[in-house]
Amino acid sequence: MPQYMLALYDDPSGWKKLSPEEMQKSLEKYMAWGKRPYVVTGKRLAADLGRVLRSTNGKPRATDGPYSETKEVMGGIYLIEAKDYDEAVERTLDHPHLEHGTIELRQLYS
Amino acid sequence: MTAAELSNAPRGDADRDGDTGVLLEHLFRHQVGRVVAHLARVLGPARLDLAEESMQEAMLRALQTWPYQGIPENPGAWLLRVAHNSAIDSLRRSRFLDQNSGAVLAELTRATSIAPGAPSFEEQLRDDELRMIFMCCHPEIARDARVALSLKIVGGFSVREIASAFLADDAAIAQRLVRAKRQLRERRVTLDLPGAAELDQRLDSALETIYFIFNEGYAAHEGEDLIRRDLCFEALRLGRLLAASSIATPRVHALVAVIALQAARLPARIDEAGDLILLEDQDRARWDQRLIAEGFHHFDLSIAGEQVSEYHVQAAIAATYTQAANLRSIDWPAILDLYDQLLAISGASPVVALNRAVAVAKVHGPAEGLAEIETLRGDPQLRDYYLLLAVRGHLLQELGRPEEAAVCWSAALECRCSEPERRFLRRKLAGI
Repeated sequence: MPQYMLALYDDPSGWKKLSPEEMQKSLEKYMAWGKRPYVVTGKRLAADLGRVLRSTNGKPRATDGPYSETKEVMGGIYLIEAKDYDEAVERTLDHPHLEHGTIELRQLYS
Repeated sequence: MTAAELSNAPRGDADRDGDTGVLLEHLFRHQVGRVVAHLARVLGPARLDLAEESMQEAMLRALQTWPYQGIPENPGAWLLRVAHNSAIDSLRRSRFLDQNSGAVLAELTRATSIAPGAPSFEEQLRDDELRMIFMCCHPEIARDARVALSLKIVGGFSVREIASAFLADDAAIAQRLVRAKRQLRERRVTLDLPGAAELDQRLDSALETIYFIFNEGYAAHEGEDLIRRDLCFEALRLGRLLAASSIATPRVHALVAVIALQAARLPARIDEAGDLILLEDQDRARWDQRLIAEGFHHFDLSIAGEQVSEYHVQAAIAATYTQAANLRSIDWPAILDLYDQLLAISGASPVVALNRAVAVAKVHGPAEGLAEIETLRGDPQLRDYYLLLAVRGHLLQELGRPEEAAVCWSAALECRCSEPERRFLRRKLAGI
């Protein structure tokens, strides 16, 4: 079965607006989604902005992230199984993250 | 209402269901009170904001990590530890370290070495929460501010949730909280438990705040139902915390008894269509038996003292309703007698007087009840109160004056009332 990567982007400041009750509800939704049979694994990325590496004039260098100018940062990734993009999309459409941010869906070459 | 909400939820290891990994209902909200209280005691009440921010940080961290790593063994202790560390980090980062920061940091570092879950630590946390209730309910702070502070800091409600419960806008509640915290600082209110000399006054202020929160939730005005029900159960939780403490007096037990006995009827007040059901028509099978038992337990404990407080009489009224073999056999003369006592204690509260008028009508007939109502109509607090008009309409109908009853119900529809209440009034109007 082909695997797809979900990259979860959000604006971390948005979470601060939630009440403790809303945070718990949201957390429970994420956890329930993560337990679905087609979810292979999930990883949270550290809350910092990471480093960006590139060569300038042939000299590789690392600079502080983020890579792009947008406020949204990649916060976590999941791997899921699906037979094709349509099914992968369908399995992702009700991900609770979509209440808070965006998800980038990419197929992995097996 | 779920069992988890109604039971005295045990703390510590039982924060989650071991088999399913499901969190206890309202765990985050309830942990806010404990963690903020604990941190505020160690940091000092002047750093209440830092305590709140640290807990916020811990919950955000949970949100980011638990979905991937699973729920920790003891979620409550996890939140406490992370909030704790976050407070230490903030203090260290702070460029404005004042002279006592060093001592606070030492205390914070020492506190981390205490094992969460240990009985002595649990006791300490309960004690901290109790101190925080007393601080938020300090008599020198206006009641509105006490209510907002208690709900935010001890109850873990957000500004938006408090605003929606009180039909205020977010900015007004946020302002109220800022002012309340300034008052706490200016009056140097501490987290010390009240001494014997001031205990009565401080306790009264806390009980009044808790009862107000309950009544706001219980009175079915407009507003979101869910949040209002949460207010009722938060009031019950706060009452239980006081009742379980070493400073519980008979009055505290009386308050918990009223709240539990009244809350027991909550599930029966609204039918499946969301329509209001009057007490006399309620299905008693839908009353919550555990809450009734809890109410009577505290009622028994409340009798110990010499003093009869407003809460004692309110509890006796609620108990009389609950004890009636069926709702047609309510002992109305006893209820009337209790309302007479209540009026004598609480001064002439117009809402109590209105309830008394209902009892008068039950005992002496609708004409006498109506006569009582007429004396209350001029009261500014009741002028636009839908219930006075609804009751007056009901008595007029019983007296065979349907046209006048219809005028009353139409006027009641113009007042502030909930959707179920509105539908109830329309049904009465249609029935004429």
